[in-house]
Amino acid sequence: MSLRSDAKPEATGFGRRLSLPGRIGSFPSLRIAALWESFLVAAASLRQNKLRTGLTLVGIIVGVTAVIAVVTIIKGLDQTVASTFSSQGSTVFTISKRPQVITSREDFIKFNKRKDVVREDAEAIFRSCTACWRTGIAANSFEIAKHGDQKFEGVRLRAITPAAMFDIDGVTIDVGRLWTESESAAAREVCVVGPDIVTNLFPDLPIDRAIGQDIWTGGHRYTIIGVLQPLGKIFGASRDNQIYIPYANFEKNFGAHNSLVVFVQTETAQQLEHAEDQARAIMRNRRGKTFHDEDDGFALETQDVFLNLYNSATSNIYIVTIGVSAISLVVGGIVVMNIMLVSVTERTKEIGIRKAVGARRKDILTQFLIEAVTVTAIGGVLGVLSGFGVAWLIALLIGFPLLFSVWSAVLGVSMSSIVGLVSGLWPAWRAAKLDPIEALRSE
Amino acid sequence: MTEATIATSETSAAVIAKPGLPSQNGKVDVLISMRNLWKTYDMGAEKVHALHGVSFEVKRGEYLAITGPSGSGKSTLMNLIGCLDTPSQGEYWLNGKNVSEMDDDELARIRNQEVGFVFQTFNLLARATALHNVELPLIYGGIPGAKRHEMAKQALSAVDLTDRMTHRPNELSGGQRQRVAIARALVNHPSILLADEPTGALDTATSYDIMNLFEKLYEDGNTIILVTHEHDIAARARRIISIRDGLIEKDETVR
Repeated sequence: MSLRSDAKPEATGFGRRLSLPGRIGSFPSLRIAALWESFLVAAASLRQNKLRTGLTLVGIIVGVTAVIAVVTIIKGLDQTVASTFSSQGSTVFTISKRPQVITSREDFIKFNKRKDVVREDAEAIFRSCTACWRTGIAANSFEIAKHGDQKFEGVRLRAITPAAMFDIDGVTIDVGRLWTESESAAAREVCVVGPDIVTNLFPDLPIDRAIGQDIWTGGHRYTIIGVLQPLGKIFGASRDNQIYIPYANFEKNFGAHNSLVVFVQTETAQQLEHAEDQARAIMRNRRGKTFHDEDDGFALETQDVFLNLYNSATSNIYIVTIGVSAISLVVGGIVVMNIMLVSVTERTKEIGIRKAVGARRKDILTQFLIEAVTVTAIGGVLGVLSGFGVAWLIALLIGFPLLFSVWSAVLGVSMSSIVGLVSGLWPAWRAAKLDPIEALRSE
Repeated sequence: MTEATIATSETSAAVIAKPGLPSQNGKVDVLISMRNLWKTYDMGAEKVHALHGVSFEVKRGEYLAITGPSGSGKSTLMNLIGCLDTPSQGEYWLNGKNVSEMDDDELARIRNQEVGFVFQTFNLLARATALHNVELPLIYGGIPGAKRHEMAKQALSAVDLTDRMTHRPNELSGGQRQRVAIARALVNHPSILLADEPTGALDTATSYDIMNLFEKLYEDGNTIILVTHEHDIAARARRIISIRDGLIEKDETVR
């Protein structure tokens, strides 16, 4: 047969070269074929050099793993903190002698000089604050709980009144019952406990059999009348190790010298600010403060203080942590660049051949960029998986919920691909501008 | 350079006389026109003139050998003809296009469309099959997949390698590799087939086969330019240009 189309076009079926409009016209659209060719070449070359590919992958995987693990853990912690502190909802504020966060010794001394917040303060707010819906008081004491030989330390004894404080605290009864008005008024020795109390003091009993059992705490004997639903852990610390008792009983058995905390809840979140203003005015009045006094003489806070403190304390740490873990990605990028340079040197001849048959600079550039991006994208995918794995392991050990976000997976893969693109650029450019004659002559 | 010009016109007469050769509308078709080509290499302090003023023409369908001792400028001339390089001075027209002033990417396009290379050491991609090697120019030419396979298969069957298409170069003999290279050179229907010492790495018998293949391709109407220092290989061509010291020493029609 004839290979020369000009000679016998009809015989070869090729058609005359210059009269092939698709040929010339489609020249710019060679991208797809050339891109696919580049991808195949990249895949083949990555397969061919397993050790080299493996080392590059390790470099990228380590970097992406670090970033993904850190981001995932941080998101998990954030979620835990946010959900914990918002369980009381944005309708609750507290009035106490000292703020919940004290940052200096001077402040501590100053706050200690304040008058105690007492039951009468709560009653005044209850009477006069029209925007307030429910008002309660609470006092805490850390005690040891005992039953027979069983002992449970670090228990939070929480005295509350009225029973609506269970709602405000965001706890609900699981088995048994709450105390009655009369039990509360009579300062009876009854208690509602968190599930940890039962499992620690009555290891052999099912939860519902704990009702009616007696426990000793603070030198007094209490009868369990109800068990709360579990709240879970925060940062590995249980929130289910509490004993709720009526406030009147606390006054009777432990004395009233502790400054208590007034809890106020509004019906809707919109009313919160108004209620805060009213309560603040009432309290300032009771403390004899005029508008000249800068200090309220008490602390009025919402749970936002915790979130704000948490956020301000951790946001910088997070940025630094993510930044440090990103350094390992930069190292991965340098590994990729190094290996791509070796690859270009090793394949100079191949580049020469490709140029001789018509590859343009762009084609060679694309080929090596695709190779770099392919290996780093694969490394990115593996790194995301292992990053989630590491985060999962740490979450398991510390105990917080894990949030596998698609967002961080996309971030991990695209970040590693960008690393590949950036670090592949220079080697690829060196390959693209090779002189075809020199390249063909190389061995 | 008048000798060369005269020689060329004589050659063209011979070419036209040969039946089956392509000529467009009965006109003499000048494929290559070199006009006073210079190639100067800047070696620091001194300038080395690899070519100083080379002019000749090649018509469509010619079978030309370029010979000369090493250092004669023959390789430089081949690089210029193959559009791997541009002249320092002078004009080179290939198939109606002024190649001498093109940039890298335009030259790449010309190499893709107009030139088919055959090298002494074959220069096949070691990891690719014969078929893929032949497809390579089509890939860079933007030919879609199905058509590409078809064209590459036809080119391979034209060099009698239908049964070796899926073989890699290391699974092929030297002669077979060179035939793959020839298929690759021809697959895009280039204006010229440019062979640089095509038998230099082959034994005598295989060299003979390859030269017979060139003969056949020539008879089919392809324009072939052989660059060689071997006289018996050059003698297979119809016209021989001898280069010495960067100049055309002789330009003769031999058969």
